[in-house]
Parts: sequence; structure tokens; C-alpha cells
Amino acid sequence: MHKLWLIPALPFIGFLINGILGRKLSKTVINAVAVGSVVLSFLWVLQNAASCDWGANPLHAHYFTWIRSGGFNVGWDFQIDRLTVVMLLIVTGIGSLIHIYATGYMAHEEGYYRFFAYMNLFMFFMLTLVLAGNYLLLFVGWEGVGLCSYLLIGFYFVKKSATTAGNKAFIVNRIGDFGFSLAMFLIVVNFGTLDFRRVFAAAPGKPVETLTAIALLMLVGAAGKSAQIPLYVWLPDAMEGPTPVSALIHAATMVTAGVYMCSRSAVIFTHAPAAMETVAVIGLATAVFAATIGLAQYDIKKVFAYSTVSQLGYMFLGVGVGAFSAGIWHLMTHAFFKALLFLGAGSVIHACHGEQDMRHMGGLRKYAPITMWTLACASLAIAGFPGTSGFFSKDAILTAAYGYAPWMFWVGVITAGMTAFYVWRAFWMTFMGEYKGHGHPHESPLSMTGPLMVLAVLSLFGGVLFNVPKFLSGMFPLPEEVPGEAMLMGISIAAGLIGIGISYYMYVVNTELPGKVTSALGGLYTLVYNKYFVDEIYDATVVTPLVEGSKTVLWHGADQGLIDGIVNGVGTESRAIGGVLRLIQSGNIRSYATWVVLGSVAVLLVMVFGGGMR
Amino acid sequence: MNILDLLLAIPAIGFFVGLIMPRAQEQAIRLLTLVFSLIAFIVSLGLAIGFQTGQTTQQFVTNVVWIQNPEIHYHVGIDGLSLWLIILTTFLTPIAILISWKSIQKQAKEFFAFLLLLEFGLIGVFAAWDLFLFFVFWEIVLVPMYFLIGIWGHDRRIYAAVKFFLYTMAGSALMLVAIIFLYTQSGTFDYATILDQLASGRIALSHIQETLLFLAFFIAFAIKVPLFPLHTWLPDAHVEAPTAGSLMLASVMLKMGTYGLVRFCLPLFPTAARENAPWIIVLAIIGIVYGALVAMVQPNMKKLVAYSSVSHLGFVVLGIFSFTQMGLDGAVYQMLNHGISTGALFILVGFMYERRHSLAIADYGGVATVAPWLSTIFLITTLASIGLPTLNNFVGEFLVLQGVAQANFTWTVFAALGVILSACYMLWLYQRVFFGAVGEGVEHHVLDLNLREWVSIVPLIVMMVWMGIYTQTFLAHVSETNAQILNQSKMNVPLRVAIPPVGGGHLNAR
Amino acid sequence: MPANFAPSADDYLRFLPEIILTVAGTALMVLDPLFAKRLPKMFGTLAIGAFIAAMVAACAANAVPGASFSNLLIVDGFATYFRVLVIGIGILATLSSYEYLDREKAETGEYHALLLFSVAGQCIMVSANDLIMIFIGLEISSISSYVLAGYLRDDKRNNEAALKYFLLGSFATGFLLYGMAIIYGITGTTKLDEVRLALNTPGVSMGMVAVAAGLMIVGLGFKVSGAPFQMWAPDVYQGAPAPVSAFMATAPKAAAFAIFVRIFMTCFERISNSWEPLIWIFALLSMTIGNFAALTQTNLKRMLAYSSIANAGYILVALAARSELGTSAIMFYLAAYALMNIGAFAVIIHISGKGERHLQIDDLAGLSQKQPLTAALLTVFVLSFIGVPLTGGFFGKFYIFRAALDSNLVWLAVLGLLNSAVAAYYYLRLLVVMYMHEPGEVTQELHPLTPGLMAALVLPAIGTFALGILPEAVLNFARNSSMLGR
Repeated sequence: MHKLWLIPALPFIGFLINGILGRKLSKTVINAVAVGSVVLSFLWVLQNAASCDWGANPLHAHYFTWIRSGGFNVGWDFQIDRLTVVMLLIVTGIGSLIHIYATGYMAHEEGYYRFFAYMNLFMFFMLTLVLAGNYLLLFVGWEGVGLCSYLLIGFYFVKKSATTAGNKAFIVNRIGDFGFSLAMFLIVVNFGTLDFRRVFAAAPGKPVETLTAIALLMLVGAAGKSAQIPLYVWLPDAMEGPTPVSALIHAATMVTAGVYMCSRSAVIFTHAPAAMETVAVIGLATAVFAATIGLAQYDIKKVFAYSTVSQLGYMFLGVGVGAFSAGIWHLMTHAFFKALLFLGAGSVIHACHGEQDMRHMGGLRKYAPITMWTLACASLAIAGFPGTSGFFSKDAILTAAYGYAPWMFWVGVITAGMTAFYVWRAFWMTFMGEYKGHGHPHESPLSMTGPLMVLAVLSLFGGVLFNVPKFLSGMFPLPEEVPGEAMLMGISIAAGLIGIGISYYMYVVNTELPGKVTSALGGLYTLVYNKYFVDEIYDATVVTPLVEGSKTVLWHGADQGLIDGIVNGVGTESRAIGGVLRLIQSGNIRSYATWVVLGSVAVLLVMVFGGGMR
Repeated sequence: MNILDLLLAIPAIGFFVGLIMPRAQEQAIRLLTLVFSLIAFIVSLGLAIGFQTGQTTQQFVTNVVWIQNPEIHYHVGIDGLSLWLIILTTFLTPIAILISWKSIQKQAKEFFAFLLLLEFGLIGVFAAWDLFLFFVFWEIVLVPMYFLIGIWGHDRRIYAAVKFFLYTMAGSALMLVAIIFLYTQSGTFDYATILDQLASGRIALSHIQETLLFLAFFIAFAIKVPLFPLHTWLPDAHVEAPTAGSLMLASVMLKMGTYGLVRFCLPLFPTAARENAPWIIVLAIIGIVYGALVAMVQPNMKKLVAYSSVSHLGFVVLGIFSFTQMGLDGAVYQMLNHGISTGALFILVGFMYERRHSLAIADYGGVATVAPWLSTIFLITTLASIGLPTLNNFVGEFLVLQGVAQANFTWTVFAALGVILSACYMLWLYQRVFFGAVGEGVEHHVLDLNLREWVSIVPLIVMMVWMGIYTQTFLAHVSETNAQILNQSKMNVPLRVAIPPVGGGHLNAR
Repeated sequence: MPANFAPSADDYLRFLPEIILTVAGTALMVLDPLFAKRLPKMFGTLAIGAFIAAMVAACAANAVPGASFSNLLIVDGFATYFRVLVIGIGILATLSSYEYLDREKAETGEYHALLLFSVAGQCIMVSANDLIMIFIGLEISSISSYVLAGYLRDDKRNNEAALKYFLLGSFATGFLLYGMAIIYGITGTTKLDEVRLALNTPGVSMGMVAVAAGLMIVGLGFKVSGAPFQMWAPDVYQGAPAPVSAFMATAPKAAAFAIFVRIFMTCFERISNSWEPLIWIFALLSMTIGNFAALTQTNLKRMLAYSSIANAGYILVALAARSELGTSAIMFYLAAYALMNIGAFAVIIHISGKGERHLQIDDLAGLSQKQPLTAALLTVFVLSFIGVPLTGGFFGKFYIFRAALDSNLVWLAVLGLLNSAVAAYYYLRLLVVMYMHEPGEVTQELHPLTPGLMAALVLPAIGTFALGILPEAVLNFARNSSMLGR
């Protein structure tokens, strides 16, 4: 009927074609396949979205049984409801744009076909993730996107840093998935199924502790995938991948999967208040933490990476305070402006011949005007400038946060200020002043600027155009009015503007100031500049002990030393015994005779007395 | 004389024909053994086709007296448990022959003959329904593997071969005592009869007797599995064995142990099995984590894969002793998965060895640049082995952990750590071998796959996907038999909850 | 007082094997001076003829079972089984001697004559129903073996072996004789069945009986080279000519076990409680000492000597079972053991070369590449020694330990089987050297198998498989003849 399977199937076909035949195909064909498949699936989503109105109950499609064992039964089931539709539109929509962009950006890269094969594969898994009708299938997409992220981060596999970052991403995500899978096991133990409809129907009746445990374990998974404290560390390194990848996977879609999963499991979360609170706190903490790091970075992509972590924190805050729809809304708007920021950054890097350090940029307004203006729109949006998409979603979250706990609102506002500051800091450093880089910068081709402009429009008006909370009000009731909402709104706007203002003053008007500030801050600055040394701490406390311990204690110590020592010891000992026994064999006949005598005496004794006793 | 007997006869005949062929005719011998193994595979498919679901007894049974007194029967038959293990054997033997085509030049005649003898023994082990017969096959398998390692292995092959032989001998000695003891109690070697007598209480084993018998069987099987801490023969055997040897060893021979646990330990000694489950499970979990950690720091590819087997087999044992349908299903499914994915890993490592003549990870690097397809295949295999959904291992691991979660959630928490670690060591291996700058030795020697290699590896890849996506082909049969075994073991932790009905599932729907 | 002194025709038929063997032996002695130079090979052939005839006679005698010569001899299944066994061993020994004697330029006539006498003695032992007859048979067998052990007069090792064998042998025979004397003293008879009855009558001093039994255990323990009376075996087997060692490790041992069983399962069956623990210890000691000492051996003959001690241990396990099952297990295992042992020795004869220069295990290096068939055959015997299924060795062990468990000797069975796992180690060394080492100079210049040796290799191999795959016939015969006169 709705042929939902077609949505992920199209990119998958694209993957197969490019993946298997890619090496023999011409670039145009590869482009056609890669972009075409995604666009087609976008259109199919539109058709589906338009074709029917989405009531309360999701539309469910069972294809075939995957695993049946004992009473447990899980199938390849897709389901679609309003939440799914929103996600589908974001994924396929932004996905199409980024694919188009990539045809330009990657034009001169080695392994062109490989890149697009991976991208299509990613689309496939991402769409499976959002279409899944049960947790296990969601997990399929969940792990699948992780795989693609691994492959694409390590796309330049000759670079060690790239492949290391890939491993880091996969393994950290595995730690998250560890939590997620435990959550699934708990669900099956308590619900006997993983099917969304059944689980959510039964959830309200379950004891709070159970639901809390499940929710918290899910949160672990979400924290891994969506780069929340303490598992955010992989995302900044993930910037080793090509910029379109950072835009698509590490900003717009994959990293938001955690938010999606929590909203999807809203029933469970809302019945586990403690878990909700944890989500909110972690989200908020991540938001602040990442924002502070963002203040001091010079690599343009790193700045946006930390800003992504921070913005994801906002979304979790939204989910945590119960404003699921606001979270999803921010997810969407963020997808617009953050994708734009990254693609813009890509265009900038492209312009500066691969330079990523903002200290070697500047003055690009002359050379790359389209990039500049589009980036400006994105920066306004993320700064929550009134009327832009970011403004609506962020405000929705902050208001809800105020209703939940005012202090969260204030922390959120401060973060908003910092966000505005570092994003615009990046903007000024890139486009104002004089060009400090090498070579001759140039504007990017239409294939790249085109998507930029589309995204710019979305970043500006996306909030007005698509009112997600209203669309989802059937699933997530709209939050009740908070007194003094206008005032709160004003405060957050102000925070954004102040941030922009300060950055303008520091990086355009008085350009000596930053140096002074850093020296003034001293230790604090180095701490922030080095991302609080979190990676180093993890290495020292987890990685190194694990590897070294396994080598010295387990392998050399236990395995070769102890166990094999015993095994071989038995062998040598037996031979030693044999050696001793040989000594009896003196070859001397008199000693033999003696033995015989002794033996016979013993025998007689045993026979007479031993035997007699019986 | 049914398909099963035929299936047993083919490799045996092939073995003798191979032996009497003039040793000059190496190519002819290769072809001949390949043909025999392929015929065996095709015949074995007949088993799958003719297999009746919904039956509680064995199928394709042949039961004729071998020796009157003591009454020993040639009694073979299969059920859902043995079916796929047998097919796994017949499926991998032709591949083992193919991958040895070029690499085995010295005494080729014996080599390929031994592969068929090995196949014969393995099929027998999985088909035997008479304890004596089972033991006979169990021991027969030793001989060809001993020679495969000892003659065609690498530098420390002799040490490895002898270690392998003695380790197993020690275990089977105990098992033989147990088997004979059961015979003296029951007066028969017929497994089904013994089960009835035990069930109906016609043989009453004292508690201590049952425990000792259980341990006698268990140790023999645990050595084969191998369960920590009885595993140290495995790395040596794997590293020293020729590729085909490692393949058969890892993919099928280790399953003899786990098969034995499921087939004999649970149904024969349910009480002892239940009572001893806790510490066995602890060992299994230690094995999972320990194997993974040790694998992580191996400088040698084969050794790494070998230790990863210790980890993977830990999951199997875990599932078996969870006494849950899911756990047991997962365990058996994992036996097959491990056979496919680890087998593929060994094959691929073998390919690399044939090119670079080194197993040291340090000698590689940048293979992805020079041999993209080899790298792709290796990647898929890696992903399968670290349990990526849509590939086979995931299903097994999920079911095992799920089953264990039903029995005791804490166990799951620790066991699931293995899933994280597997990603660590495999991806690290992949990075060091395939990524990075192209090494000197690599650039000139490591070529991409040739046709013979494609033919031998693609079937395995296909199976990984098939078994990962459409599990019902295999799991259905297995599940049935396992349900029965759990029945006999008189303990089955069911799903505690009634599965809820379909509901709205929205906030406003409450 | 027997009715008539004139023995019946049946009596002669029952004694026919011994008659044939003795006559043939004497004949060879007579013919030796005439043909020694011209056709040395003839004697062997004649001997084989005689053996075959004797075997036929033994089977024929089985058709008319019963006691003969006023109950001095008894022909029952048990006797027939062992007669056929020792005669068969005689044939194999003869076959394996052709090349050897030719190589060592030794007289053939006397050699084969002595073999025939020895086997005749063993036939008397196994069919004797009288302690005196047992003693006579034992002496005939032993004395000829003493001579055989030192057959190559100029060879120092031979002489030493012969001397040791003789001295310790007579020493042990002394013990046996004392035991017999005491029994006669107590019961006033030497006929086994009468002794049995006498011992069952009340008022017999069990203490003395125990002493007698003890003395006999010592004597027989020596003959079967069971620990702690095994020391002579390694030196003698190593020193004696290879074919003789092969013979001594099998035929006299089989006969000795036969009388061991006959005496202890009939006469001393009533006091079995008192000798069972002793046998238990003997068994364990023999297995352990034999196997562990063999681990370090580098000399093939010496290694097989220790293995023969260990195998005696396995057989003693079955004796400790004190059951008909045990008896039949002993019978079966002795056959299986004889086959693999002679086969293995045949290979040694083949590779050792003139003057037995190459006796090291490493001399087998790479045999599989130079002479695949020889290697394969030796592999069969080695696997049988190890106890791998489908060989006689495995089934024999299985049968022994089954008997043990049947009599609840659980721990002895466990220890025994673990022992066999240890044994696997040194047997495997043979395979390792043959298959996994590159050919050494010994195997390089190895000439092909001669017909005689080939026969002495192939026949045991076939037998080994026969006993492993289709043991039916032998088993049944053994079982049916295991209830000695009870």
C-alpha cells in the first residue's frame, strides 16, 4: 500500500550500484545514482506525507519475521506516524541537499564512488532507524549509521588520525549501544516484546523503577549516539571526515538519533520522572560545557562541532523537561542551520584550499560573498535572532525549561549567549579583516552554493514555515502557557544579541582584545583551549590501563605464565618422574634381585596381614 | 541406507580413494577430493530438504547392530540441532579444499585425504546416536587434525599438534569412563534408551554420581570448546595450523564441544547441570571478557582471531547454561555463526599469508589501497564478527544475551562488555592492517582476490547476510529441538510476562 | 586312582599341538647340520608349517574338550584361545625373523627349533590343569627363551640380556615353586580343580594359603613383567635380538597371564578379597612406572619394553576385576597387544639394520616420505597403542575398563585411562618423527621391505583393524571360555 520499504530501499539500491560497479562508472553516472536515489526517496516521503492524514495511531507494516524464539518474536516492521514523517522529511530533505553539495565538494577526491556509496548506505540505515516499528529494527539503523559514520570519518584512510577518529567514534558509540541493548533486554524481560505499539501500550502499567532503569539505559545509548556527556568525545574528532559528512551525519541527522529515540520512547520516559530529570541535567550540562570549549577553538569545523554538541544538549534539555515536540523542533531547525554552517565552512575551506584554521582566513567577504551571506543567515538562526528558525525552537525549549525549573532556564540563556558569541566570532574571523591564508581564495561552484542558499532560506524561515509542536500535538500535548513568557523570550533574545555584540567588538572593532583576554585568563584559558584535557584523562584512566593490563597481566601473566606454565609444567614434571624411574633401572643385576626380594616381602606382608584382616 | 548413511559414506570412500591414488597425480587428487566434498555437500542439502519440522524424534535414522555383546549400534540420526552443524561441515569442507589448492604442495595426497577423513569424523560426531559410536567418531576426528597441524603447519607445529592431541585425550579419557559407567548402569549405549531409563528412574544415579559423570562429560567438552581456563591449546593450534586446518578447527571442531554440552550434558544430567551452571557461567563470562582483552593485544593476526574465538565461544556456553529457550537458540545459532564468520576470518588471514608470508600485524598496513576488494570482504567479515545487525553474529549474540537476561540480568551486563571489546580489537586490527600508508612488503606482494579465492569466500559472505536477515531458515529447526532439550533438562526459564496487545502508544493514549 | 592307564585317542588329540611342535622342533635340530649351509631359509618355512599344523590341531582339539592324561591337561575354550594365540605369535615371530637372521648371518635351524619349543612350553602352560604341568611348561618356555635371548653369541648385549633373564627368571621361578609346594603341603594335591575344592573345605589355614598365593604372585608378576617385578624387562628386551624381544614381550607373557588367571580365578578365587588389593596396586604401579619411564626413552626397543610393562598394568586392571568379564577382557587385550607389539617390532627390525645399529626413535625420521606404506603400518600400531577407536588397542582398553567399572573399580579405571593419555605422548613421538621430520640418513638408505617382514607387518595390521572394527568373533569366544571350570 504505502510501500514504506521503498523509502530506504532506494538509497540502498544506490549503494549497491555505486558500491559494486562504482569503480567502472563515470562521475556523472555516480552522481545521478547517488543523488537521484536520495531525491527519489525524498519525493516518496513527500508523497506518503501528503497522501494520508496521520491520526493518533501509527501506520504499521509487517514484512517478515526476523527472529522467533520461545515466546519472543520480532519482525522487519516499519511504522510511520507524524514523528516519523518529520524525521523522514528532515533526513531525506537535508540529505538530498548535502548529496548535491557533495558532488561539487568531492569532485576532485580519490574514491569518489566509495564516498557516495557510503553516503547512500548511511541514508538507508538512517531511514531504517526512523521507520523502525520495533526497538531491534531501530537498533539495526542505529548501529548501521554508526558503521557509516565510522567509514566516512575514516574516508581518508591513509591518514592515521582519520582512521583513529573513526575507531573512536565506533567504539564510543558501542559503549552507548551497550546501554541501549541492555535497555532492550530489560524491555523484553518485562514486556516480552520489542514492538513499539505493544511496549508503549503496556508501559504505563509497569513499576516506576523498571521504567526508570530502562529509560536511563536508553539515555546511555542516546548519550553515545548524540554526543552527550560523558560520551561526547568522539564527535569533535569526527571532523576528520569530509565536510559534507560532518554536515549530514555529525550535525543534521545521525547525532540527533538519540533525541529521536527518547521522543519515540516518550511514554516510557514520562513515566520515569527521575530519568527525565537526568536527561535534562545531562543535556544542560553538555550544552554549557561544549559551549565553553567552543569559545576558544580556532579550527572552524571544531567550533561548529562543539556547537553541535552544545545544541544537542539543548534538545536533550527539551526532552528532559517534557517538551518533546520542542526538542524535535529544535532538532529540525538545528538540522537546517547547522548543516548550513558546516556546508558553509566546507565552502570556506574549499575557498582557502583546505585551510581550516580561522587564524589563517579572514577577509573572505570579497571572495566568497554567497558563502558569507548564507553563513550569516545560519549564524543569526543559531544565535536565536528573532524570527529565525533557531529563535522559535530554542525559545520553546527555554520556556519549557523555565516551567520545569527556572535555574535551567538561566543556564540555558547564558549558553545561548556563549553560542551567539563563538559562532559570530567564527564568522568575523573568517570574513572580516584581511585574508591571511595562502593561495588565492575563490567562491565555490553552484552545485555547492545552491544548497547553501536553499538552507539559508530554511534557516531563516523554517521556524515559521513548519510549526512542529502543532504538527505533533496529537502525540505530544502542547505545553501549558508559562506566565511572563514574553519576558523570558526577551531575555533569551537579549542574550543572543549581547553575544553577537561582544564578538563583533572583540574581533572586528578591537582586535587586540582577544589576546589580552586570553593572557588575562591564563590557566583557565589553556584548560578550555585543551578541551579540559578530557581525552587525555580518558586515555590515562581507561585506555592505557586496559591495553597494558591485558598485555602484561592477562596475556603474558595469566595465559602464558600461569595456565600454560601449569600445562607445560605437567609435561616436564612427568618427564622428570620418568627420569627418576629410570634410575631404578641401574642395569645392575644384584640391585634387581634386591628389589625382587623387597617386593616379595611386601607382597607376603600384604597377603598375610592385609588379607588376613579381611 | 538413507541420505545420512550416504553422506557418511562419501567422504570415507573419498578418503580411501585418495589414499590409493598414485602420489604423482597431485592435481587429480585435488580435483577428486573437491568433487567428493561437493557431492557430500549436495547430498547434505538433501537432509535440509527432507527434514520434517514438528517431529520430536530423530530423522534419517539408521540403527543396525555393530557389535552384539557389548551391544553397540551403528545408530545415526539427526534433529534440528545436528542438521545445520552437519551442513556447516559439508559446506566448509569444499572451501577448505579450495583454499589449500595452491598453498599445499608438500605431500598433497595425504593432506586432501585427511580433509575428507576429518569431514567423515565430524559428520559422524553430529549424527551418532549411540554413545560408543559417538566416542569413536569423537576420537577419529583427532587423528587427521593432528596430522594437518603437525605436518603442514608452521614453525612450532609439532608442539602445537601434540599439545592439541594430549589436551583432548585427557578430556576424552574421562568421558570414556563416564560412558562406560553409564553402560554398566543401563546395559546399553543407545542414547535415547539411556535417556528414557534416566527419565523413568530405571537408572537412579546418586547425587554424587550424577555430578561426577556430568563433570567427566563437561571437562571433555569444555576442553574442546574451549572454555576458559582450558583454552591455551587453541591459540597454538590455530597459529601453527595451515589455513584449512584453522578453518575446520575453528568453524566445526570447536562446535563438537558445545554440541556435546547441549546434546549430552543438559539432558543426561539436568540436576548436575543446573547446580553447576553458576560457576560455569562465571567461567564463560570470564572467557568472553578475557578472550577479548587478550585478543586485543596480540601481535599476530591468527592468534588474535584465535583468542576472539575463545570470547565468542564463551557466549555459546553462556547461552547453553542460561536454561532459556532464547539463550539456547542463540547458543546454537552462534555455533553456526561463529563457524561462518570466524571461518571466513581465517580464510582471509590465510589469503594474506599466502601473499605476504607473514602473520605479524606489524608487517601490514595500507592493504586497502592495493587490494580494495580483499579489504572490503575482510571488512564485512569483521563487521559480522563484531555483531553488526543484519549480519549473522548479531542474532546469536542478541538471543544469548536476551536469554541470559531472563535468567539473571547481572550476567548480561558483564557478558555484554564482550560486545564492546570485540569492536575494539577487530577495528584496531583492521586499522593497522588495511589502513594507513602502504607498507613496502605490502605494495609488491599483496594483490587483490583471484577467481579461486572469490569462489571460496563469497559463499561465506552470502551466508553471513542470509543468516543475519532471514533467520527462520535455520532457527526454526534449531528452536524445536532446543525446546525438547530444555524439556529433558527439566528447567526452562520462560518469558515471565504475557505479551501485551497492540495499543495506541501515544502520550494522549493513556 | 584313575581307572585305566592307557590314554584314550582323545587324550592324544588334545595333546596334539604340543606333540607337533615338539616333534617339529626336534626334527629341525636334526636337519640343521644337513641343510644349514645350503638352504637356511627352509627351516623357517618348516617351522611355519609346523605352527600352522599345530594351530589346526589346537582347533581340532577344541572339538573334544575335557581333561586328559588323568586330568593333567585340560582342553577348554580358554586353553584353545591361548594355544591359538601363542602359536599365531610364533608364526609372526618366525616371519619377522627371516630377514633378521639372514642379516646377522646366524644359524637358522636352532633358532626356529627353540621358537617351536618355547611355544610348545607355552601351549602346555595354558592347557595345564596341574601345578606341576604348569611348572614344566613354564620351564620349557623359559629356558628356550633364555637361549633365544642370547642367540647371537658374539653380541655382548645378547649375552648380558640372556644372563639377566636367566638369573632373575630362575629366581622368580623359585618363588613360584615355593608357592606350589606350600599349596601341595596344604591340600595334598597339585590338580587345580582339586586344590580349589580342598581350599573350599573348612579348617584350611588361610594364612598359609595366602603366603602361597603371595609367592605365586611374585613369580607370575615377574613373568608378566608387572611392577614391582618389571626391572628385568627393559634390559632384556633391549639386549635381546629384536625378533626375540617381539616374541618374549608377547607369547610368554600371554601364557604367563593365562596361568595367572587360571590359578587365581580357580584355586584362589575364594580368597580373592585378599589378593585383589595387591593386584590393584600392581596394576597401578605397572601402568604408571611403565608409562612415565617410557616418556624419556630414546631407544625404540627400550621404549616398547616400558610400554609392555604399562600394558601388563592394563591387563592387571582386568585381573583385579575378578570377573569373567575381566578374564575375557584379558584374553582379548592380549591378542590385540600381541598384534600391535609384533607389528611395531617388525618395523624396528626393518630399520635397525645389521647389528641393530639404528634403534633410536630419531632413526625413523621422515619414514613417511621414503616408505609411506611402512610408516602407515607403524602408524596403525601406534594408534592402537594409544587406543584410538577402530583399532584393537582401543577396543581392548575399552573392554578392560568396562570390566573394571563393572566391578566398581572406578578409580582404577580413571587412573588407568589418564595413564593412557600420558602414554599417548611418547607414542605420538613416533608419529612426529616419522611424519613431521625431514628424512634422516637412516631412512635415506633404507632398502624396501622383504616379503617376510611385509607379512609380519600386514597381517598384524589387518588383525588390529579386525579386532577394532569386528571384534565380535574373538569377543564371543573369549567370553564363552572365560568361566574356568566354575
